[in-house]
This record gives sequence, structure tokens and C-alpha cells, in this order.
Amino acid sequence: MTGTQRVVIVPCSGIGKTYGTVSREAAYNLTQDLRPEGTKLVALSLLVLGDEQACADVAESPAVTIDGCKLACASKMVAQSGGRIAREVAVLDVYRQHRALKPEGISELNEAGQELAQVLAEELAEFVDDIESQDGEGDHA
Amino acid sequence: MPELPAKKVGIVACSGEELSGGTVTRLAALRVLEELRPAETVTICLPLFLAGGEGDRAFARFYPTIAIDGCEKRCAARATELYSGKPAATIVVSDIVKAKGLAEPKGLRTLDEAGRQVVEATADLVAHTVDVLLESHWSRSEGAFSDPLQAQAEGQGSMQATCSCGSGIPVQLVEIDGTMVSLVALPLIFERFREAGQKPGEELGAELLDMVCIYNPIPEGSEPSYIETLLREYRDYLHRAELDS
Repeated sequence: MTGTQRVVIVPCSGIGKTYGTVSREAAYNLTQDLRPEGTKLVALSLLVLGDEQACADVAESPAVTIDGCKLACASKMVAQSGGRIAREVAVLDVYRQHRALKPEGISELNEAGQELAQVLAEELAEFVDDIESQDGEGDHA
Repeated sequence: MPELPAKKVGIVACSGEELSGGTVTRLAALRVLEELRPAETVTICLPLFLAGGEGDRAFARFYPTIAIDGCEKRCAARATELYSGKPAATIVVSDIVKAKGLAEPKGLRTLDEAGRQVVEATADLVAHTVDVLLESHWSRSEGAFSDPLQAQAEGQGSMQATCSCGSGIPVQLVEIDGTMVSLVALPLIFERFREAGQKPGEELGAELLDMVCIYNPIPEGSEPSYIETLLREYRDYLHRAELDS
């Protein structure tokens, strides 16, 4: 990753399940609070429509996808848009590792769901740092 | 003849993450789905039109669908039309803001007070549109209205005009005259006929065809082949159901 390139974050934002809301919340936590400089949020709806800028974003930068269900819409759309997925995260897998944080609610997450989103965002922040440091080493090589 | 589930209205929100309007569409859609019209509406995630299966892509043909978009790019409306079927109505949040003289919504994760007002205004318009569409006659075989109420729906203010992820319309792939054809709602139709205790026979073939052609276009002259196929598939379905039980 060089210059202004940032890690692209694509959540599924699924509307039918609470895990979709967790994916959206985690993406906001990551891109707005934890790593605003190193990440860029790309809307999945733009990829569905084939928006030129959104497709260019995922084609030019490593992408992290966050999916709320096994249908993995975010991962599939990034792949179909010519993107390079650096990491795919399934919210359900994260929940399995943190069973005390049972998310509930779709329009508004409960406290546990918000905590789960934060845990996920923090894990991804470390991943973003790893990518940046690897890229920095590459730049100096 | 067995009845399929009552007609509902489909709602597809853009849910765009990078604009306040996207968050408004999501919250407005959920308000309608969860509180204002829970029994009359159903939704699907927009990307499933590409990432999902044939059943997901049949959504906007099966249900008269309202697309709710946050901005003039109209991702939900355009993608729905491109990959599923023409939405029965489209609503754009930025149009509502202008038409009602509301303040621009701000915030992504959490909307400001103006944003919450826009959510309410959008949800009210969606709910009203649901009511109008439920009064109209929707042809599932054509994915369009078949009566003049369409014009009424299209003339409502800023209108230009429980399912969820992965719960698309059931479809079944069958071979008819050597060609594979995907028939929307066929598994549901078989299920209802079985529940009604219908046995395969010549008369049932015509009834099955009558039901199938509500949801699928049947090429002229191919009715006998369809009847033959439907009866064969129904026999297989009953056989499998018997084995399963």
C-alpha cells in the first residue's frame, strides 16, 4: 500500500438480520473512529450497480469484507467487481468467539451487539495496521 | 384450487453506508417492515440480486416492489430493474427532503434530529405507497400492473411512480421439451397442492398449469408440454415427500 491508498472496508449491511447491522456498525467504528486515515468505506449498493469509482476503489486497494450471513454478499460483490479481498470476516464467526455478546435488534443494536461490533472493529484495526506495516517494509526494500 | 400466500409489497433499500440518505433508507424501510406495515411487507438485501440465486432475482417480479434510495444515483431502483424487475414505485430521500422543505439529514451511524424527521417522512410515504400498491392488481407473470391503479401509484407526490436475506422466491428448474426452464414459485405450488391432498391426474395438470402461469410466462402452444412436465415433477415431488416422511 503506497501513498494515499487505503484499505477499503465493505460491510454487507444486511437489512434482514441483526448480524448485518453488526457488520455496518463495525465498519463505521473502524472507518470513523479507529482508523479513519487508513481506511475507506465503500457502499455495497454502489458495487451492485457497478459504480465506476466504487469498482476502482476495490480494484486498486486491498479490501476487507464484513458479512452478516453465509450468503456473503459483500465478499461476492467485491470479487465480482474485480477487487482483491485481503480479509473476509463473517460476523457469525466473531460471535462464536464472543458468545457473551449476543447481538439483538436490526434498526438499533442492543449493547451486546454494539460491543461485538467494537470487538470486530478492533480486530480489523490491527489487521489494517499489519497491512500498512507490510507495505511500509515493501516501500523501503 | 389451493391458494398461495397473500400478496405483499417488496421493499428494497439502498442502505448506502457513505451517505446520511443511505442510513435514512435503511431506517425508514425497517420502520415500515417492523412497525408500520409488518404483515404487508417483505424485504430483500439489494446485493442478493447478483450474489443470490434465481429465487432472489425473481423478487421484484413476484412482489410489487418499492425501491428506496438515498441519492440521485438511485442504486436500489436501477439495480432492482436491471437484475430483478422494474420497481412498482421508487422513492428518493433527497426528493422528499426538497419536496417537504426538510433540513438535510446529517450523520451516518447515528442520524441527527433532522435525519430522524426525514426517516419518519420517508417511512410514512413508503407505508402509504404500500397501501396503494396492495389495492392494485399486480401480475406476477408479467411483473407489472394490469389495471389503471398503476397510474394512481405513479402519481403520488414524490413517488416516481417477512423475508430477508436469502429468503427469495422458491424456484425449480425443470426440463420442458429438452430445454431447462426455471419456474418461479413451483415448489410452493406443489406444497400447497400436496397439502390439499391433490393426486396427479389429467384434470390436475390443467390446474397446475393455471397456477404456474400466474407466476411464469408460458409460451403460446407449449401448454401440453408444460402440463406433461408439471405432472411428472409433481409425481416426483410427492414421491420424495413420501420418502421424507
